Amino acid sequence: MTLWFVRGLRRGVVTTRYPARPEESARYLPTPPAFRPRALTAGTADRLAASCPSGALRRADDVLVFDVGRCTACGRCAAEAPHAVTTSGAFELAATSRSVLVKTIPLRGETG
Amino acid sequence: MTSELITAASRAVPGGVTTFQVASPDLEAVVRDLHGLRLADMFASDGDTPTLRLVWANDADGPQSGYVITETSIENGEYPALSDIAPAAFVEECEIYEQFGIRPASGKPLNRIMLPPHTGPHNTGTQNTGTQNTGLPTLGHRPPSEPEEVRAPHTVAGQAFEFPFGPVRQVGVESLYYGLVTSGEEVVDLYLFTWHKHRGLEWRLAGMTPRQALFLVERAEGLSAVAMGWAFAAAVEAATGTRPPAAAQRTRAVALELERLYNHAAAMAALCQSTGLSVGQSAAEIALERLLRLNARAFGHRYLFGVVDAGGAGRAPDADAIRADLPGAYGEFRRAADALLSTNSFVDRLEATGILTADQAGALGLVGPVARATGRLGDARLMPDGPYAGTGIAVPTATAGDVLARFTVMLAEAAESVRLIGDFIDAGTVTGTGPGTGELRPGGGTGLGWAESPRGEALAWVALDDEGRITRARLRPASARNWRGFDDACRSQNVFTDIPIIEASFWLTAAGMAR
Amino acid sequence: MSTEEELRAAIARQFGRSLHIRTLDTGSCAVCEQEIRLLAAPHYDLHRLGFFFTPAPRHADLLLVTGPMIRAFEVAARKTYDAMPGPKVVVAVGACALGGVYPADPFTHGTVDAVLPVDVWIPGCPPSPLALLHGLGVAVGRLAEKVRDIPFTAEDDTERVRGAS
Repeated sequence: MTLWFVRGLRRGVVTTRYPARPEESARYLPTPPAFRPRALTAGTADRLAASCPSGALRRADDVLVFDVGRCTACGRCAAEAPHAVTTSGAFELAATSRSVLVKTIPLRGETG
Repeated sequence: MTSELITAASRAVPGGVTTFQVASPDLEAVVRDLHGLRLADMFASDGDTPTLRLVWANDADGPQSGYVITETSIENGEYPALSDIAPAAFVEECEIYEQFGIRPASGKPLNRIMLPPHTGPHNTGTQNTGTQNTGLPTLGHRPPSEPEEVRAPHTVAGQAFEFPFGPVRQVGVESLYYGLVTSGEEVVDLYLFTWHKHRGLEWRLAGMTPRQALFLVERAEGLSAVAMGWAFAAAVEAATGTRPPAAAQRTRAVALELERLYNHAAAMAALCQSTGLSVGQSAAEIALERLLRLNARAFGHRYLFGVVDAGGAGRAPDADAIRADLPGAYGEFRRAADALLSTNSFVDRLEATGILTADQAGALGLVGPVARATGRLGDARLMPDGPYAGTGIAVPTATAGDVLARFTVMLAEAAESVRLIGDFIDAGTVTGTGPGTGELRPGGGTGLGWAESPRGEALAWVALDDEGRITRARLRPASARNWRGFDDACRSQNVFTDIPIIEASFWLTAAGMAR
Repeated sequence: MSTEEELRAAIARQFGRSLHIRTLDTGSCAVCEQEIRLLAAPHYDLHRLGFFFTPAPRHADLLLVTGPMIRAFEVAARKTYDAMPGPKVVVAVGACALGGVYPADPFTHGTVDAVLPVDVWIPGCPPSPLALLHGLGVAVGRLAEKVRDIPFTAEDDTERVRGAS
């Protein structure tokens, strides 16, 4: 057991300080998308909804309904419409009510 | 005579995949003839004439390696009983009966494998909503009186005591039910069920495009996301005659080797946990976490989801990050492994535990480190074509067939993975997504795909219609093959406390079996 | 404060110092389980925050649930939940558990809250151990919920999604 004890001492502490301090490795985590309302037309919103394999996106009249709870951060919506979608960088997504995870994003894009 | 044709052809086949039509009356003779090959999978397809397909693997190291598929039309809802000649077919016979209501002709008892006890055979086009057992054959392990849960009978009088374990088990592990039959401490028998995790993936995939399907295929067994995704994409590419660009293939290979590395680290941690060596577990977990963070930096996801795309690669790796981080992460892994192998109390628990013989592995068609630790050389990376050709890949084997042998095989594989990753990156991976990563050719067809997951050969077979939509998808993660060897391994003079150790050395998932 | 709010505050006080967690897999792909296991690993060490895993539902305060609630598993899920004495909290983990990935069909409910009363939802596929730590902190009232105030919109045209061209 001396072997393990010495090894452990030599390596030191690797434990994250999170949540007291931010964790550096978090910036490489995949995160849900953020949408640009001015790039969203009805057509774009429909394409985004069709591209989502998890049912997280749908269009309702003039808003894009985005269910963060269903999002897997797979990036297919961003690949479908790169001008309309970027990354949110948000990984602390826990919610105490389900409806808080359903976001409505206005469609402010101009067609034509 | 059909069987002679097939035998001759399978010896002469220069690798790749060959498909033969076999008439139902000839099937038994053909299976006898092909017994020198490994039965890799067996599945049925529905339709006006249901079809039974058997996939045989020629594991020879060299140009003859490849696959043979036999296709047989099933008449009158029956086909010749094959598991008497090929024990490796038994689980699939049960599965085919549950999914299609098509039974082997012998009428021998079948086990409940995929569907919960309160559902009957699942026929295409009808959705099963919990109807009573009708027309099911006698089950080897009797279903309980209450259909919703499994309770094995307790017999204290007599020689054996049978008790159920699970599906809710210890913290942080998947739900898995097994029935343990014991005479005290020794494991007399062990049988397991995974139907409480059956998501019916193969049915969900019908009607999808390959790209849509890949999302679910990766999640068939998330710890083998790259392998299953690759096998499925390769099946689709074979069906459409698409050839992914070399850089995309190497990208897939880098991801597959990273997947192998982190899985072996996780298996090492599980081995330590099962033997109660907490310091070893922590050391292995440090290596595991560093590898997962490397995956996130390299491919944008800790578990490498989204890397494989139909026709190519969906993500471009950060090759510099891999070059920078891999040596340190692997160093942690290696130091933990070396310390473990120097810890006698640990090695003693592994030696002579959970022994499988090469014959058992061969009879059951086992794959991966489990089979290689018994001395059987079989590795999907040795199959012809693909990015591994010409890499001089060294596939380690052992002979003892015990937990220690499986562990040392995994360690040797990890070392080889590091070398391969370096070579593939030097040879060039994709640098962006979009054109250059590959596009699928239009049209339909059928195809077989494979990849060596950390647990063993992952297979997928797909039938596409003319619009390129899936009519039948078959997913066979390595777990679907290897769980059947688990009870044999546990039975070989082991006690209860050995079961978690053996389970860790197999490092399978219930999700991969249940799909 | 209403009775409900008082009760929640009391639970937060009671759980805030030490919390025992029982995990429950209702049909996951196995990756969420791996992230959960890493909570006890050196890089994350949930023990320093007062969280502990327990195999016994009788001793558990919080049920950490993964998977899309496969129908054949329902009885086991209810039994585990019922075996936990109150006060108890149910946390659904991952996109499958939250209704994504698998729409409801004869094999699966598709979402955990079809069967169990969920108190906290943690998105992700899988949620990383950091996201899980945040979710556990939210569940015991020690960390603030952030997602309520994130609109998931962007106006800066120069941002790009990593990994896409």
